[in-house]
Formats: sequence, C-alpha cells, structure tokens
Amino acid sequence: MRYGSRGLKTGDLQTNSQYVVGCEHWRDMVLSVEEGVLIPRPETELIVDLVGDLVEGNGELREGLWADMGTGSGALAIGIARILGPCGRVIATDLSPVAVAVASYNVQRYNLQDKIEIKLGSWFEPLKNVEGQFVGLVSNPPYIPSHHIIGLQAEVAKHEPRLALDGGANGMNDLLHLCHGAASMLKPGGFFAFETNGEKQCKFLVDHMQKESKSSFSGVDIVSDFAGNKRFVTGFRAKSHNPTNPNEWTVKIN
Amino acid sequence: MAETTIEGLAQTLTSDHLLGPVHSCPTRSPTILVSPKPRISRTRSPLSLQYPPKPTSSLSPPRPLLGFSTPFSPSSRSTSTVLLATPESQLSLGDSPETREWDMQDFYLLRKDVETTSKRVEEVRASSGLEQLEEEVRRLETAAADDSFWDDRSRAQQILMALNDVKDKIKLLTEIKTQVEDAETIVNLTEEMDSIDGALLQEAVSLVKELNKVLDRFELTQLLSGPYDKEGAVLYITAGAGGTDAQLDSVIRANLVDLYALCPVQQSHALHSYLQDWADMLLRMYVRWGEKQRYKTKVVEMSSGEEAGIKSATVEIEGRYAYGYLSGEKGTHRIVRQSPFNAKGLRQTSFSGVEIMPLLPDESMAVEIPEEDLDISFSRAGGKGGQNVNKVETAVRITHIPTGVTVRCTVAIIYTCSYGLFPAENCGGDQLFVEVYQTRELVEGRTFNIRDVKSSGTKRQGQIWMLWYNLLEVFLSVHNIILLKERTQLANKTKALSRLKAKLLVIAEEQRAKEIKQIRGDAVKAEWGQQIRNYIFHPYKLVKDVRTGLETSDVVSVLDGELDPFIKAYLKYKYSMAMATAVGIK
Repeated sequence: MRYGSRGLKTGDLQTNSQYVVGCEHWRDMVLSVEEGVLIPRPETELIVDLVGDLVEGNGELREGLWADMGTGSGALAIGIARILGPCGRVIATDLSPVAVAVASYNVQRYNLQDKIEIKLGSWFEPLKNVEGQFVGLVSNPPYIPSHHIIGLQAEVAKHEPRLALDGGANGMNDLLHLCHGAASMLKPGGFFAFETNGEKQCKFLVDHMQKESKSSFSGVDIVSDFAGNKRFVTGFRAKSHNPTNPNEWTVKIN
Repeated sequence: MAETTIEGLAQTLTSDHLLGPVHSCPTRSPTILVSPKPRISRTRSPLSLQYPPKPTSSLSPPRPLLGFSTPFSPSSRSTSTVLLATPESQLSLGDSPETREWDMQDFYLLRKDVETTSKRVEEVRASSGLEQLEEEVRRLETAAADDSFWDDRSRAQQILMALNDVKDKIKLLTEIKTQVEDAETIVNLTEEMDSIDGALLQEAVSLVKELNKVLDRFELTQLLSGPYDKEGAVLYITAGAGGTDAQLDSVIRANLVDLYALCPVQQSHALHSYLQDWADMLLRMYVRWGEKQRYKTKVVEMSSGEEAGIKSATVEIEGRYAYGYLSGEKGTHRIVRQSPFNAKGLRQTSFSGVEIMPLLPDESMAVEIPEEDLDISFSRAGGKGGQNVNKVETAVRITHIPTGVTVRCTVAIIYTCSYGLFPAENCGGDQLFVEVYQTRELVEGRTFNIRDVKSSGTKRQGQIWMLWYNLLEVFLSVHNIILLKERTQLANKTKALSRLKAKLLVIAEEQRAKEIKQIRGDAVKAEWGQQIRNYIFHPYKLVKDVRTGLETSDVVSVLDGELDPFIKAYLKYKYSMAMATAVGIK
C-alpha cells in the first residue's frame, strides 16, 4: 500500500513498464519489446552463460550453427550470437509474426543480421532443411500449465502473449516436442538447453529422455537458476548412436 | 600582511563544503515529525570546533569551552590549559584598539602564544613532508609535460588537479612559516628594546590569530588526506535489529489507514513520516545533507520493508570529499521513540547500520580478485520465477571468501505510479490524482477532474490505467528517457563486484595492508562498528554522538540533514585520536 503525496489512500498500478517504454534490459543489452512479445526474464540470462562456458573451450561449438526456437524478442539468439566465434551462426524461429518483427529489429540494432537468421514458423518446421547440422539448441518455450495462467500476476496474465506462456494442460507440450526433435536436429556432441517451469518439469523431462531415447543423449543434467529453482534441462547428443536401438531415430516432426 | 592570500589559500585547500559559508537550510520540513519550535543551541553546535586536539600534549577529553564565542578563537586553539583560564584578556586583546595599555603579563601571554604557534607551524610543516611534496610536484610536472598527456583527458585532469593541490599546499606551508617568523621577530624585538610598542604587539596578536585559523583549516583538510577522502561516496543503509517496531498492533495499524483518509493533509504527513522506518529516516537525512552540500545524490537501490519504510538502500553521492566527510558516519545509529505501531505507546529502540564506501571508477581500482575467492549468489523474491512473473526485484550477493566481506547489489529502479481521489470537501469537487515515482521520488503528478473519469468499477480502473499510460509516456518523452534502469543479473554482478573491490580497498587502507591478501578477518567482522550515535525522540529530544560527546536537542534539524557539526566534531576527534596514538608510539 502506498500513500500519495497528498496523504490520501492510493494504490499501485501494476503494469509491464517494459511495454510502456518499449524496451527491457537483459544481460548487457537493451532489447526492444512490445505487446505480443514475451518480456525476456532475468532467469533466462543464465542460458547464455551456460553456452558461454561451453563454447570457450570448444571450437566446434563456437564456430557452429545454433538454433533458438521460440525466440520472442530475440534475446537468447542475440546473446548467443555475441559470444560465438566469427563463423558461428544462429537461426531463430518464432510462430508469432510480431515476435519475428521485434526480433529482427533487435538483431539489426546489434548489427548481427549476418549472424542471425530469423524464421517464421513453429519449432522445427522452418529448420527442416538444416536438420542434423546444429551444434546447439536453446529454447525458452511456453511452459506454464494452462489452468495456472489465470492466477498469474495481472501484468503477465493480461498483457503478455498467451502463446509464449501456455504450455498446455501440464505445461509440457512444447518441451516434450523440443526434446523429441532435439536428437535429430543436433550433430553428435551437440548441446541443448531448455528452460522449464521448475523441478517437476525438469525431472519429468530427464526421466523421459532416459526412458524414451536412452542412448541418443548424454550428460543430461538439471541446472538451477539464480534463485535456486531447478530451471534448465541441459545435455548433449550422444557422440555415437547405438544401432541396436533404431527407435531413437524415429523422431516425430509435426 | 598577506591575510587575504592566506584566506584564499585556505579556502582552496579546504573543501568548500564544510568550511564554506553555511548554506541557509530550508525551514520547511514537510514529512518530518511535527515538533516544538526547533531549539538549535547556537552556543553549542559550533563548539564542536572547540575541542582542539592538542597536537603534542596528552589527550584530554573534549569539553565545552563556553567562554568563547567564535569557533576559531586563537586562544582556544593555540594555548594550553594555562591560557584557558584567562580567555577574556585574550579576546579583549584582539578586539580593542591600540590605545590599550600593554603590561608585562599581556606580553608574556603573547610571547607564549607565539611560541606555541611557532611550534605548531613546525609540527605541521614537519608532518606534511615538504620534500616529498616537492618531489611530487616534479613528478606531476614531468607527467604533464609528456607529449601524450592529453590523450587521456580524464587522467590529464586528475593529474592537473593533483598538481594544483600539491602546489597550493606548499605555498601555504611557506606562507605560514613567514608569518610565524614575523610574529617571532616582533616578540624578540620587544624583548630587546625593553619597551612595549602597542601597535606592533597588536600586529603580532592578529598574526597569531590568523595563523591559528589557517592552521585549524589546514588540519581539517589534513584529516581528509586519506587516499579515498576526495572521492564520492556510496552509502549503504540497512535496517537492523528492531527494524519496523517489533510489536505491531494490527488494530492500530488498520485504523491508521483510515486516519489517512480523514485527517487534514499536514497531519497526515506527520503520520506518514511516523510510519517510516528508521532506515528510511536515515536515508532521507543523508540525502538532504548531500543536497545541502550541493553533492549529486542518487538513490540507486532500495528495497521496501514489509510494513513501512525500507529494508535497505544504497545512495551514490558524487562530489569532492564526500567520502572523507561521510566516512565517520559508518556504524550503527540508534533511535529511541514512542512507537507509532504500538498501542500503548511504549518506548522502543531501533537500530540501523550505515556503511560507507568510496565511489571509485572501475579503472582506478587495481584490484584483481581471483574468481575462486568469490562466492556469488543471486536471489530473487521467492516464488516460481521464470515466465510466471515480471518486474521482480533481483539481487546479487558476492562474498569474498578469504575475508568474509560481503556486498549485495540490487539494481531495480522502476517507475511506479500512485493514484487516488481527492474528496470533494478538499478541493471543491472530486478529483483524481495520478503520480509517477522513480523509487520514492515523485517525478510527475497530475490532477484530473473526476467528471472526466467518473464511472464505476472496472471501467474506472481501466480509465486510470489509460491516464497513467499517457502520463508516463508524456513524462518519459519530455525527459528524453528511453530506458528503464538496468536490472539484469549481469549488470548486478558487475556492479556488486566493483562495490566489493571498493570495500576491500577501504578495509585494506584501514588496516594499512598493502594487499587484499593481508586483510585480517577479525577487524572485518566488526565492520559496522558499534553504536555511534543516538537519536532520542522520547521522553526528551536529543541527538548525541557517543564518540565525540557532541549533542543537540534539535532532532528535527539533524534528521533534516544538519549533520555538519557532527561530521566536523568527528573529524577532529579522529585527528586527536591519531595524534594521541602517534605520541604514544614515540
């Protein structure tokens, strides 16, 4: 409860100030945002750190092709493009035309149009022609269970795009889809990092990956965010795949 | 008689903040407690300056010398206890015309004065290391003559400023020597002549008087000769034990909200300020002080308390000597008051910690801390995080493992908005007001006639939203603000690391350690120091510094930023302590 300077009872107006002023600070960048695009969250900054640590000692990853699926404002794509080597490239996709426009604008602001390609479309669809060529996949997909949306902070529930938040009944629809596709998109030894809603989703994903596609991934791990919430699932595409298990290659690409 | 020159020199050497003319303070104190007419004890507060550290003699406790009326009276400064017994004669010497009869006793007094002053001059000259200063001038001049000197403008300016400072200091040291020699000559001459020349002696008296003024000021700047004293300051206030008064009476609190709506505007201000936490009051005090010194003050971080006031706040104060002056404020500040939250109005004590660090530019901190010595942890208000929330304060905490020194940094300056209604009886018709704040500072406020927005329920809510959007947009465009302050984890981390470095440098300096590695942990633990000052609201009004003993009954003025007497007294105190230690070592 605040009190106005005239001493009368007042209330705070909650809003996404980032939409009002049209931008958000994220890492060392300033990104343009507008209604229809998810405001990048501080937690997601950590994905760039994870990638940064990784590419430092790995030339193949540093100079390879990366994908940021569901890029929104382009935050992850730009963050990663800035730490890749001169030959490193990023393809960013989003289903929302608004997001594609905003991300393209941000990419231009950072003069990275030669490094980042933005494509309109759902998840792996726009990436079909480069299947199996990626050294890294990152994504902050919608992961909030549908029935939770109404209970969120008003400025999130009412003003941020549902498309970027709603992950279906248990919030896992898009995450599972990404996991299924990851094996075929990545080169052997390629890295992936996905943001999730918390411990439950992380554990589910890890279990799922170990059960469903035993040998396609290695080093699958859960990483906590700065607040200690289990937030990210990371891992690598296994270097040599096991031919006795052909199922691992049957990946549904919707 | 180069009186003006010396004055001028002293002015340049001295910071114009404390010793310059006292800025008239605004009498209006809208959010401070309504209290009886301020009774600042004019005879008392300047007295802080009259606790003269006697450079060579053993330290005696400060005591009020009520007989003197001017802060820099020569006798109070230059003479030992013998002369304190006869202050009137000294003063009348200075004030009366030449016609005054000089007897032998007066002459002896003067001779003693001159001797003491001469000794003092010698000490000052010896302690300031003239040869080193001249060496410094040569070094700086060589640097300034370099071809690439202007390539780095900020460095060039720093060097030139340093050069000026050193030159002024040398000039002053030369001048005081000439002057004290003049006075000595007069005394010697009088002794030889065996007769008393009133006019000549009068001149010696005023010489000594002036000299002592200059020496006083010189010493005050000497007090600010620490390596970071000239820098700006970062002030960190934390609500300590007590915080929001412990035993809240929820009924009273609930009623207070209604009181706000009922009471006339001014009374509600008083109530509001009563609601503020102690840390919040301290924050305001320092910000006001900074404004009075014409420093640039910026509240860069603030986290609100749960009930009222703040949990912590960080203020950056830019300006010369800000760190030097404020460094003595480090410690625990205690308030005693009747709790506004307590139904029985019981007396309650709260504590707040104040920490001061120099505001150092990153490049000037030649500190390399190995990554493995740092424990970096991030925090965010609990909850699910991620996509679930937006606009939540984030913070980073860095601990330097070998010393245990910790800094916390939150970068979250966000524009917020308040709105409310003026009932018809206040303004002749219902009005809606909308105000935009940056942290707590009102940056824009507008009033709208209620007719324009009157409707019910959610629709009205929607219209207020619209108004706010419009207002914020106008405000941001008018002030050419495109961006909100950064609040990213990376920015927090960078800033926290630079704070940590500054803090380690200060601790190293305090412990005379050459490297961070040499810092001893034991002193770090007591980094807040103990309680340094009491602010008592009830049952009587008193602010008392427990170190210097300086006190005033005008609590309101002090909380309004009238801190100079306390700061000066502390600097003097620190100096006399240092001198006492130095004598002890000898």
